[in-house]
Amino acid sequence: MANSMSALPSDPRWKRAVDLPKAGALEAPSSLQIPALKRFLFNGLKRGSLVEASGAKSSGKTALCVHILARATQNGEVCAVVDLHDSFHPDSAFASGVQLDRLLWVRCKCKPEYTIKTADLLLHAGGFGVVLLDLSGAHAKILNQIPISYWYRFQRAIQDTPTILLICADTPQAKAASRYSFDCQVKSFCWAGQRPFSRLRGIASNVRQRKLASLPPEEPLQISVA
Amino acid sequence: MYACLYGPGHGREAMLDLALEFSPYVEQTSEETVLFCIDPLRKLLGSPYQIASDIARAGFERKVQANLAIASNPDTAILLARYGKGVTLVAPGEEQRQLAPLPLAALTADEGMLSILLRWGVKTCEDLAVLPEAGVAERLGPGGLYLRNLALGVIHRPLRIPPATGNFERQVELEHPIALLEPLLFLFSGALTEICSRLRAQARAARLLEANLTLAGKPAYRAALEFPVPVTDQRTMLKLLQLHLERHSPEGQIVGFHLRVEPVEPRRVQGGLFLPATPLPDKLQITLARIAGMVGEENVGSPLRLDTHRPDAFRMGALQLQPDGALVDLPQGDLPQGEVLRLVIRIFRPALEARVRLVELAPKDVRASGVKGAVVRSAGPWKTCGEWWADTAWSREEWDVALDDGGLYRIYQQAQTRDWFVQGVYD
Repeated sequence: MANSMSALPSDPRWKRAVDLPKAGALEAPSSLQIPALKRFLFNGLKRGSLVEASGAKSSGKTALCVHILARATQNGEVCAVVDLHDSFHPDSAFASGVQLDRLLWVRCKCKPEYTIKTADLLLHAGGFGVVLLDLSGAHAKILNQIPISYWYRFQRAIQDTPTILLICADTPQAKAASRYSFDCQVKSFCWAGQRPFSRLRGIASNVRQRKLASLPPEEPLQISVA
Repeated sequence: MYACLYGPGHGREAMLDLALEFSPYVEQTSEETVLFCIDPLRKLLGSPYQIASDIARAGFERKVQANLAIASNPDTAILLARYGKGVTLVAPGEEQRQLAPLPLAALTADEGMLSILLRWGVKTCEDLAVLPEAGVAERLGPGGLYLRNLALGVIHRPLRIPPATGNFERQVELEHPIALLEPLLFLFSGALTEICSRLRAQARAARLLEANLTLAGKPAYRAALEFPVPVTDQRTMLKLLQLHLERHSPEGQIVGFHLRVEPVEPRRVQGGLFLPATPLPDKLQITLARIAGMVGEENVGSPLRLDTHRPDAFRMGALQLQPDGALVDLPQGDLPQGEVLRLVIRIFRPALEARVRLVELAPKDVRASGVKGAVVRSAGPWKTCGEWWADTAWSREEWDVALDDGGLYRIYQQAQTRDWFVQGVYD
């Protein structure tokens, strides 16, 4: 008995009782690791909410969404990416910490109607931690054709469930249906070294949270992407 | 209570049929011996006397000539059926007395053991049963102790029931050909309900569903659905089959079909109390089949990274739900201040063909579909190549460029053709 007990700590499947999550922790908000983001969200994203991350290209919105996916998959949750333009990069996501074996990726072949239907099916199937609806790069004319009622339908579908619907787009889409709305704006691109030996270090971005009064809107937070 | 039929020289099949008429729990102990459990019959038929009477009557009607013994444990029933005559009924607690006159050869065929016991003067079960347990264990070991317990009639063991070889297929020939999917699904529903009830009765689940449709005047249509997790629900199978047939409809009228499932052990998973919920496997399969019907099967799945440095190398695999998988250990405290998000690139598939103007070997102007601007700052070139031995060989020079349209792009020039492409945008 003593030998078997001593062998347990080396086995990663076994944890001491004090290391297990507390009851109710699974309904706790989805955690975020970046201190700057924690200032926005205190305890993370509330479950059953619709979250938007919008911004122009190279503003860091995709990095923010992938970070949320990474935290969810590391927590053992199964997540999904509904990809309108087939632009998801598995290597980047893996480097950001996404557990790819817990990720469902649906490539919608640039057809918005497939994207919306797929998101609807996944949200009604239930059981997903985070569903990322990636509409980045879509033309405004196409996005404007999506009825606003769809966003309320999605909101109702995830209400009182542990699922978070994350929308990544160039401009805010869900309007009043979203609980959180992040607006990312690029501040500067960071380079290291002098020409011709310089290299890209990352992006400095300003993130503004439109819907919570945790910080005044005129005080955007700066996050770095590298 | 157990009943044993012993009919030397009589048909084994007839005794098996007789036993199966009274109980599903039947052990074929030998060619001449069939043992079965009659406990559930007590509520149905009454006392063991009544049960013995019914079995004897049924045997008489079937012309089965065999001895019948009923006892509280299987081995006692076997011994009394083999060495008794007609019907023997043993009340609980009377086993030792009933077994007492049986010769030792009834218990074992081990010549060595028998010769030792005969030298001791032990000739019957009664003689063996009265020997002290400790003494028998010391001198004869576990084998001797087992024989003594047999003689006492106190060994209780479960029946050795062979795994059932179920028939999990259904063949239907139609009187009139069917052209529409809906009536065909109605027939499938009945067939699958029957197959699934057989599966559940034998604690099995389906891993593969095979449908062979016979078409009028055309080659047969075959569909094989492999389930990621074993399924026992006929509605799930029917829906998956419907979605498959909607995507790949048979060309012709259907005059018959043959459904077959491949049985496997059902999935037994105990979810952790503190593990996050995952999608229900049955429901997820139907959802994925519906999505695959829209976007194509090759566009749904879990991305698998390939063991190569080739840019954007991946393949799609099936999403495997592992509720018992080990979680990644998360750091308990906050990461140190200054921790940053990881830079992510959004890929253009396929890469955008571009026209790039160079000044002093560095890009100064990039034009592609949806990408247009002067280069504000650039870094590169980063030369990469590999897999020169395969068709997937690549060799190129990559640049990171910031354009005046506000985007930060990765562009590259192929070494052989000197063509430029925009691979993606950092975001």
